[in-house]
Amino acid sequence: MAELETSRPTPLSLGPDQVDVDYAGEREAGPPIQPEVPPGQWLRENLFGSVTNGVVTVVSVLFALWAARGLLNFVFSEERQWAAVRTNLRLLFTQAYPESQYVRVWVSLGLLVALAGVSAGLWARWGGVPLGRVARWALAAGAGIALGVVLREPGARFDEEGEPLLDAANQVVRQSFGQAMADRTLWWVAAVVLLAVGLAVWFGVREHRRSVYVPVTVLVGTALGLAVGSLWVVPYGHYGFANGEFLAEPGRTVVLSTKVPWTVMFVLLVGTTYLGRWVRSMDWQSRVGPLVNIGWVLSPFVTYWVILRDPALDYGYVARVDLPLFVAFAGLGGLVLWALTSPGIGESGRVIAVGLLLLALLHWVAGFAGWYPMLQKVRISFLVVALFALAAPNFAGGASKRRRFLAGWVLTIGLLHYVITMINTPSTVVTPSDTFLGGFSVTLFVAVMTLMLSFPLGVLLALARTSRLPIFRVLSTVYIEVLRGVPLITILIFFSVMVNLFLPGGMSMAELAAVVVGFTLFSAAYLAENVRGGLQAVGRGQYEAADAVGLTNVQRTAFVVLPQALRVSIPPLVGQTIATFKETSLLAIIGIFDFLRIANSVIPSQTEFLGVKREGLLVVSAVYWIFSFTMSKYSQRIERRLGLGER
Amino acid sequence: MSINDATAAVSEELAARQDMIVCRGVDKYYGDFQALKGVTATVKEREVVVVLGPSGSGKSTWIRCINRLEVHQGGDIVVDGVELTNDLRNIERIRSEVGMVFQQFNLFPHLSVLDNITLAPIWVRRKAKAEAEEQAMALLERVGIPEQAAKYPGQLSGGQQQRVAIARALAMEPRVMLFDEPTSALDPEMIKEVLDVMKELAQSGMTMMVVTHEMGFAREVADRLIFMEGGEIVEVGTPEHFFNNPTEDRTKLFLSQIL
Repeated sequence: MAELETSRPTPLSLGPDQVDVDYAGEREAGPPIQPEVPPGQWLRENLFGSVTNGVVTVVSVLFALWAARGLLNFVFSEERQWAAVRTNLRLLFTQAYPESQYVRVWVSLGLLVALAGVSAGLWARWGGVPLGRVARWALAAGAGIALGVVLREPGARFDEEGEPLLDAANQVVRQSFGQAMADRTLWWVAAVVLLAVGLAVWFGVREHRRSVYVPVTVLVGTALGLAVGSLWVVPYGHYGFANGEFLAEPGRTVVLSTKVPWTVMFVLLVGTTYLGRWVRSMDWQSRVGPLVNIGWVLSPFVTYWVILRDPALDYGYVARVDLPLFVAFAGLGGLVLWALTSPGIGESGRVIAVGLLLLALLHWVAGFAGWYPMLQKVRISFLVVALFALAAPNFAGGASKRRRFLAGWVLTIGLLHYVITMINTPSTVVTPSDTFLGGFSVTLFVAVMTLMLSFPLGVLLALARTSRLPIFRVLSTVYIEVLRGVPLITILIFFSVMVNLFLPGGMSMAELAAVVVGFTLFSAAYLAENVRGGLQAVGRGQYEAADAVGLTNVQRTAFVVLPQALRVSIPPLVGQTIATFKETSLLAIIGIFDFLRIANSVIPSQTEFLGVKREGLLVVSAVYWIFSFTMSKYSQRIERRLGLGER
Repeated sequence: MSINDATAAVSEELAARQDMIVCRGVDKYYGDFQALKGVTATVKEREVVVVLGPSGSGKSTWIRCINRLEVHQGGDIVVDGVELTNDLRNIERIRSEVGMVFQQFNLFPHLSVLDNITLAPIWVRRKAKAEAEEQAMALLERVGIPEQAAKYPGQLSGGQQQRVAIARALAMEPRVMLFDEPTSALDPEMIKEVLDVMKELAQSGMTMMVVTHEMGFAREVADRLIFMEGGEIVEVGTPEHFFNNPTEDRTKLFLSQIL
């Protein structure tokens, strides 16, 4: 047991009740500082240790330079029409969302930014980055730019009309090397400034560079601030469509309707971060934290159905039908659940719960067979009542526990009715195309909804697959193996086209909702396998200890087994999350105007940019990469926090 | 050989006490291998029974049968008047009356020491959180490590972890405590701190069944010793009887190897 005593980081560090510490006190857990090796010796030992080693090094470096040169020439070629991307930025992110209603997009984004800021202020302990590493980043960036400037082939020479000059063999005539270097003065300046800053920091704080830490929040804030500030200064140019006319005004900064919202977003982010910090400093985390979490859970629904769609609620109908239904279910259901949680109910409680479940299922069967009409909302509500009733015996006992269970019930049914009402209410925002949202926003929406729904489902499937009851095990195994054996694209096509054919008259499903369901079912099967791996990592002793203190099976799973299993499965779960996020690009194939489809089909069909695809695809790749890389980095941080890597 | 005879030999007073654990002809099989062969024994209220025997003798299996971590195939086990059958309610009732301490501690690594102790009282005994925490602090005081309440099991030494495990079992206010080789995974210098806690517990009148190789503890604390080999009870007696003039040859051989 002695090895357990060595400094394993506290799993508590994500907990709310930890004292606020100085950044310098909370650096990343890393190996102890080793004495510096002179660069020459390092090169000899690691890159040129033997003849083979040296040859491999030289060949690899030459290959890397060749590849980098190819990429640079591709990206910065005079054939590239980056105006296609610049002009269509809004199209890429929100498709045909009407200009006059665009403030709704900004309000949605602002809501998310504010939540992110408050959360960061409340919980984030990102620690700091050693100043030495910041210097190394600056040096690497400067060197990279300088290398790129030299590597990229000289630019084309242009005639008076701005067309590239061609020689006799129809090849582009290029500048001389010296002329090209002179033309790239701005890049040189950037490289030299970065190198100078890097060197100055490196040598300036040489003695202390390992002990001086720059908070990550400051680094991120500075980077975002510089990016937003550059909108006001740097001449990115103004491109767009005005009354159907293509408009290009290079040499000026972007329009106000771009600059102002982004500046507001930045200010909002900084402000809410400080707000979160202040709340933390007042020790109100325990009260504000749950509210923020509820805000996150609600945010996809609120942004999508309230702000972006602006529901045209029929208040008469709401008062006549929706509210009475909610009151009835919350009240009557609450009474039933209150009775079912009374301490003396015993076995009869379970019998009543099963009865409720059968009744709820009957309504569904009736719906499919067309026996009697019923609102879908009512069918769903009956099912949720039955599920709560099944769980009720676990909350039997003291009045406070029963009250909390009832509060959970009212909150759940309220949220459910709210969401269903909002889904069923038409939008006032009129969009020119039949799809309401598109581009990156639809990609993000599908990804978030899929992940929110497939996590609980995946955990349940994993538990079922490891259950002692054969019926659960068989059903779950069959489900997982079938779903994993079918290509995702097949499932998506099935759900987007065929689901509505199978639904009985009167029931229908929007294409996007059907696609989310398909994604969820597929992703849950994979998540289940990852969670199952974690479940297997929980030792038999943990089960025995939980049994020995008298926990029921459900309690053992919820409080002992799952928390440990999920912790172990964080790396594969994040891998699956990233995969799901990237797989949303398959939406393009089934005809939804997602991020990829805009770049691949919509932009190349505009008369101004006929066939211009590569630029858009590069940008799409870059955006996907940024999101995936961020998730990957964040999971590494969580892993380090939980001390997984050191077991 | 009947245990009740030996009990009578110990003292009239002990024989008069209430039965806490009664085992009658308990059989346990792992496939074709019979791990327990008709084990019959009675543990009285407030009695401390130490079970000895070479490894593989079935002593751990037996003690784990008593709170149904292992299922026995033959015979009866009655704990505090409740018979162990497949009825889930009986099993849950017995488990909440019987505390168990494991060789490998089996603390919940993702919970703090305090949460380890309060988990079952809150969810099984339905205690209020504040009350459970107050009780947990009192128990940590009793096992001598109140200052470790906020730490995680991984940050404690083996001896401290085992004391937390004892506190966790005691938090359910059990009628019986079972110890399955509680000191076997500990470094020598930590064994004493755990044994001291167990001695204090025995003196407080807890009914205890202890599987251990600590002969000093057996000699000092036990009311009775049970020697097992090959899944059978070979000899039962007081510590004086055992260490001074054991009757069975197998007992003599075992004691000569271990002492």
